Amino acid sequence: MTLITTRPGPGTARPYRFPTVVRRDVAGGRVVAAHLPGQNLAVALLLLDAGAGREPVGKEGLGAVLAKALEEGTAQRDATTFALAVEGLGTELATGLDWDTFQVSVQVPVDRLGAAVELLAEAVRTPRLDPDDVRRVRDDEATALRMDWANPGPRADAALRADLFGAQNRWGRPLYGDPDSVAGLDVEDVTVFHSEWFLRPGTLVVAGDLDRIDLDALGTAAFAGTGGGPVERGGPIEVPLPAGRRIILVDRPGSVQSTLRLGHPSPHRAHPDHVPMALAGTVLGGAFTSRLNHLIREVRGYTYGIRGDFASSRRFGRFAVSAGVQTAVTAPALVEAVGEITRTRAGGVTEDELAVARSWRAGQLSVELQSPRAIASALTTLVVHDLPDDYHARLREALLAADVAQVSAAAATHLHPEALTLVIEGDAALIRDELVASGLGEVTDHAG
Amino acid sequence: MPDSGYPWPIETTRLDNGLRVVVSEDRTAPAVAVNLWYDVGSRHEPAGQTGFAHLFEHLMFEGSVNVAKTEHMKLIQGSGGSLNATTNPDRTNYFETVPAEHLELALWLEADRMGGLVPALTQHTLDNQRDVVKNERRQRYENVPYGDAWLRLLPLLYPPGHPYHHATIGSMADLNAADLATFQAFHQTYYAPDNAVLTVVGDATAAEVFALAQRYFGAIPARGDIPAAPDGHTVARTDRPAVETVTADVPAARVYVAHRTHPFGSPGYDVATVAATVLGSGRGSRLYQRLADGERLAQPDLVGAYGVDLAHAPAPVIATATARPGVSAERLAEGVAEVVDELATVPVTAAELDRAKALLSTAWWRQMATVDGRADALGRYATQFGDPAKTADRLPGWLSVTATQIAELAADVLTPADRVTLTYLPEETS
Repeated sequence: MTLITTRPGPGTARPYRFPTVVRRDVAGGRVVAAHLPGQNLAVALLLLDAGAGREPVGKEGLGAVLAKALEEGTAQRDATTFALAVEGLGTELATGLDWDTFQVSVQVPVDRLGAAVELLAEAVRTPRLDPDDVRRVRDDEATALRMDWANPGPRADAALRADLFGAQNRWGRPLYGDPDSVAGLDVEDVTVFHSEWFLRPGTLVVAGDLDRIDLDALGTAAFAGTGGGPVERGGPIEVPLPAGRRIILVDRPGSVQSTLRLGHPSPHRAHPDHVPMALAGTVLGGAFTSRLNHLIREVRGYTYGIRGDFASSRRFGRFAVSAGVQTAVTAPALVEAVGEITRTRAGGVTEDELAVARSWRAGQLSVELQSPRAIASALTTLVVHDLPDDYHARLREALLAADVAQVSAAAATHLHPEALTLVIEGDAALIRDELVASGLGEVTDHAG
Repeated sequence: MPDSGYPWPIETTRLDNGLRVVVSEDRTAPAVAVNLWYDVGSRHEPAGQTGFAHLFEHLMFEGSVNVAKTEHMKLIQGSGGSLNATTNPDRTNYFETVPAEHLELALWLEADRMGGLVPALTQHTLDNQRDVVKNERRQRYENVPYGDAWLRLLPLLYPPGHPYHHATIGSMADLNAADLATFQAFHQTYYAPDNAVLTVVGDATAAEVFALAQRYFGAIPARGDIPAAPDGHTVARTDRPAVETVTADVPAARVYVAHRTHPFGSPGYDVATVAATVLGSGRGSRLYQRLADGERLAQPDLVGAYGVDLAHAPAPVIATATARPGVSAERLAEGVAEVVDELATVPVTAAELDRAKALLSTAWWRQMATVDGRADALGRYATQFGDPAKTADRLPGWLSVTATQIAELAADVLTPADRVTLTYLPEETS
């Protein structure tokens, strides 16, 4: 048998092109669209400045409850009639919440987009919010969170977030709230939050074949009956690094794996080091070939997978590593992970590793930006972070131009292994002694 | 007849060694999807070797004669690509999407592991990936509430000896017993060009791909006599409901009601797909309307129904619901069963049918919106039905389903006498 032994080199690359972006002011709001010629499917996404960051402390989960309540009927029709109308077009209302925004979207064959946006607007702008429905939705959401929190992960995530950002701050509490915070919401919290944040126009993001889409009509439908201008969004928050490394142990009796969540605060999204930080994070934990995954999975076999990255919103950011490891190797996995973070900070990255990381991140801007849903998400990034139409092309150039010195400097500046909070959710009776003996940091048992 | 579900060109060829090559050119984006379906899955595993097809999939990323351990991932990601592989009862698929200038690299990598894996396979690699897969089992099936539902449903749906009786992830005991020689033989038996379909979709011409396929795969010898999996197409009706109740560390009672229907790809399974959508997809579905909204027995986010698209035996349709606080598992199970039973007795309305078809149409076009989604579909239809162009028939098949057909299907295969019911009960808390 003759296999070709020589690895082929690349052919000629076609120039990178992000779809043409159209920005238009319509009916008091802003439409931002991308042209996808020939695409049969289209997405429209209404972006509101109503992220979890807008929720008062103690009212975590408000946005998530409101998201569900939007589908409990509108001024014009009851919940069932509304559901049949939306689903009859072939879509569901997809809601999303992050720290900066609240999003509602529809995805339909392009000829149905107008009708789908009208229904989306009807739910967002004129929901019925009947008190009995709101209470029921709230109770359901609290139960859903209780169910979710029975999985490994959410409790560890919450413990890490509280330790990084302080539970006295909204951003130190879970994005979607916790079962108790949701159970404590009342009807007025929801209706007030709606009238304060959901009746401003916001931005309508559209991805589809614009030759078959009337953007003015979509904007007119999306922004009808809205008012009020943009609201101050607040600057970056200074989050102090912890004075030392510590371990927080979250007990999960009987667990056959330990869930690891390691992290520390890091810069907000607009920080000038955004690109080199992203690349440092990719080399350390962002790709399958990353240092962490190579060592902990491919060499040691301790896990199905381990990931780490820098993530950021408009006002704050964090570096975090997450994995599930077999209970018996909890301490060794932790020692190795902290060791790899420490080595990356001290020694930086190699050209070989960086070449993979920069090509991968640059290539993903073609490979992963195909569907209308993915393009709409890319447009959302432009809107939320005030970026220009050619942002993705520029990002690609910046990724490809980043050198070892820049990325190693970002690793040295923004990785803080000595200030990591190490949250371990697992069978405490089996792993506590080992964790204490690891010497990685003082072990605290998580309350509750 | 509704429009085609695949309005792009399809060209095919077959190399002398039996490798089928499918190309669908689309120059919209400078990306190309490469996809290989190997016609081997957990249905081929004999007793004592459960989980081997899937563990083998892991080994395919660990190097081959001209590719070092983990270099496959590094080269694809280093060219800007995305990649993965999956194993299910029917088949194993490997796929990468890369910027178009790296097409040749992707084909070279796939050819090297098709034709040159065995010499590179070591005991060390096997031991490492065995540990990884055992951790995958812990993470996905053992350490999460209800995580083992699929593992429990399969043996209730399919009798011992049936190729779908055991789950693809396999048992810990079998994984522990896996030896190197078995995996070497596994590759030699099933990873042959005449047991695979290579599909390329995106920014490349058919002529270019056919020439590259010949160059890289052409010299790999055919295997010729690939052993078939046990035939599972006929599963005798039991006429006796199968019931299993599990008490476990779960936050609420949950019920799964499952039935064997028809094999994926058959007209009967198109009816089952639409029926499952009527029954359990979205807020307008019968299960949601009756159990989450109406009687408020079920948690709204956790009620639904779906088919599992398996082609080599009557495929399951599964309805599931999770109890609201204060609702007993018995009441919930009765509620789900009633709604399923009514598919045979309460005619599906035109509005229900239109809703289901609209949701299915969007789901179809969502898969077709990416070159990787298209490549996987073409590979499936070429492998399972002998012709990638049959991809175009699925959407029209769904859209032609009638209310009468749904009622007939329900009366035939969704009956209480032939039903599997799996119930989880929370442990008593002190």
